[in-house]
Amino acid sequence: MFRCVQTAAALVLFAGSTFVHAQKQTIGAPPEASNMKLVGTNDLQARSAYQPTIHHQGDRWIAYIGHHGGTDDVPAPVNPVTGQAEPNGTSIVDVTDPAHPKYLRHLPGQEGKYESGGAQMVRVCDGKSLPKGDPNAVYMLRTFGSEAHEIWNVADPANPTLVTRLSGLKDTHKSWWECDTGIAYLVSGAPDWRTRRMTQIYDLSDPAHPQKIRDFGLPGQEPGSTGAVPTELHGPISTGPNGNRVYFGYGTNKGGILQIVDREKLLNGGKEPTPDNLRYPEISRMPMSAFNGAHTTFPMLDMPVAEFAADKDGKTRDIVMIVDEAILNECGEARQMVWFADVTTETRPMMISSYTVPEASGQFCQRGGRFGSHSSNESMAPVYYKKMAFIAFFNAGVRALDIRDPYHPKEVGYFIPSITQATDKRCIPVEGGERCKVAIQTNNVETDDRGYIYIVDRANTGLHILELTGAARAAAGLPKN
Amino acid sequence: MRRAATIALVLAALGVSGVGAYQLAPSSAPASAHWRELAWPFPRDGWPAGRAFRCEGGGCDGAELYVRAKRGFCNCDSGVADDDEVDRVADIDLITPRFTATAPGEVVHVGGMHGRARRYDLAIYHGASHAAVGVALSRRCDLFVAAAQGRGEAHAMQHAALAFLETQAMKAWLVAALDGK
Repeated sequence: MFRCVQTAAALVLFAGSTFVHAQKQTIGAPPEASNMKLVGTNDLQARSAYQPTIHHQGDRWIAYIGHHGGTDDVPAPVNPVTGQAEPNGTSIVDVTDPAHPKYLRHLPGQEGKYESGGAQMVRVCDGKSLPKGDPNAVYMLRTFGSEAHEIWNVADPANPTLVTRLSGLKDTHKSWWECDTGIAYLVSGAPDWRTRRMTQIYDLSDPAHPQKIRDFGLPGQEPGSTGAVPTELHGPISTGPNGNRVYFGYGTNKGGILQIVDREKLLNGGKEPTPDNLRYPEISRMPMSAFNGAHTTFPMLDMPVAEFAADKDGKTRDIVMIVDEAILNECGEARQMVWFADVTTETRPMMISSYTVPEASGQFCQRGGRFGSHSSNESMAPVYYKKMAFIAFFNAGVRALDIRDPYHPKEVGYFIPSITQATDKRCIPVEGGERCKVAIQTNNVETDDRGYIYIVDRANTGLHILELTGAARAAAGLPKN
Repeated sequence: MRRAATIALVLAALGVSGVGAYQLAPSSAPASAHWRELAWPFPRDGWPAGRAFRCEGGGCDGAELYVRAKRGFCNCDSGVADDDEVDRVADIDLITPRFTATAPGEVVHVGGMHGRARRYDLAIYHGASHAAVGVALSRRCDLFVAAAQGRGEAHAMQHAALAFLETQAMKAWLVAALDGK
């Protein structure tokens, strides 16, 4: 009997070890997927990728992809088009035919490795939509490492020309640009502010002549203040003059804050960064657990909730989806995930639900690299807005969530790309050195008006263009493919 | 159930003995100053708790020192670049959110790590002088921070705290903490 138990235990252990082993990604293995299908890829010259923005430009679709700096091993990868080693910057890819993306141009960024270089962020507005823009121009706003914001004319995406540079900063990050007004909320590190990242608001309606409106942040971050410094900004999203709200997310993986701001008061209130002037436009703020940050604060206002349809009040809800960013490899921190806040009563925002990938579904803490959320798509195109959200989840790939009932978000699909020779290792400290593993690190995601989903990899695996299939496609209301 | 309780007791005993080992470890700080370990006095926040000590004797008598690792620091290449960084990360805000720097900070080194230290006045004791020192050191993408507070002179407190952090026992713990152990 005892021998039987021993044998059974050994079999269980063997099966377990095989399962764990099976979760390790290997070159040549197929992608892991459910209700999502690969349409096309581009290696992005093996550059670590951050924010993709997809722009409909005439009869073409162009993907602008921001990059982190280079790696210790390859600080400036060679651009095969020019034959030159170039610091990571912005990749410009024609994705009109998503099955055959065409790499058009690499626009170098700031020298430097990882978060200390590159040109991470990118937004695009047509000149004809900006109040004082050149109607023939297409403007790309990007960061230049930590030191500047730049605007380029990308009307010919293969040959961009520099229009404007706002420099002298100590940091930058994920800005927001209203294409109908030109107001830009630039995530900057103004040298005299006590925080690494705050907001500089500019009128960029005429990109060739930027007009500074004001600096903004949380009281305690402004120049000359003393005492504790509140969590630094990650990024804002504005609903423009019609919605009259700006949703600011502070924190990445710790002490997050969702701040709801009256846009009109923000733009027209006192400009001096005094504590009173900084407080004036704030409607409310919702502090999160010290375990979680607010990397992305994506508003979805006036959402009908089927469950509440028969209720006399509260049939529709204003929702903000908050996404944290995992920072440490191999689950070295509290889980970073997705949160849904009901902000219908703006002065009393309340967290109503959350979502995470079940760790055991892929042994993700053992795969290597980061596991946890990072960012969501930010397109508000009708194809997915308020119906489906896509979350970049590092080594768990991209996750498709049915969010029609934000009180009960439901995963309906996922895609974890295969690793390639270009996929970079991720290491953790161990006794006397480091231990490294190679795994996909899906960093950011965006969608286009056609319904294609674009994911990019932090560990140099490139761009993957996806589409929904099966039940996920039906949930989004898309025709069968 | 009883077995679980026994295991918990054994683990607790091992933990206590581990703390005891640190207390008994020889120190290279001035012989008249001894740092006695206390319970971590702050509520849970975004980082795991660290270790707390009280200085007995010497120029830092009565001062308290709080140290911990903060894993996951974005400035992997530039390190602790300026005094604002020390204001933000050095845990002075655990003692009180109301503090004022008294002077520009200075570059410091502990166990091969580089960073900055800065001195503060704390606004918690009406009428009585209460000084604090914040220290932030970086190792690639991780931080090690220390905050000391007391009624004594800030410079002496900083000197004693840095000497204590340079002891072999503390340097070994510092490395282990930064490795996530």
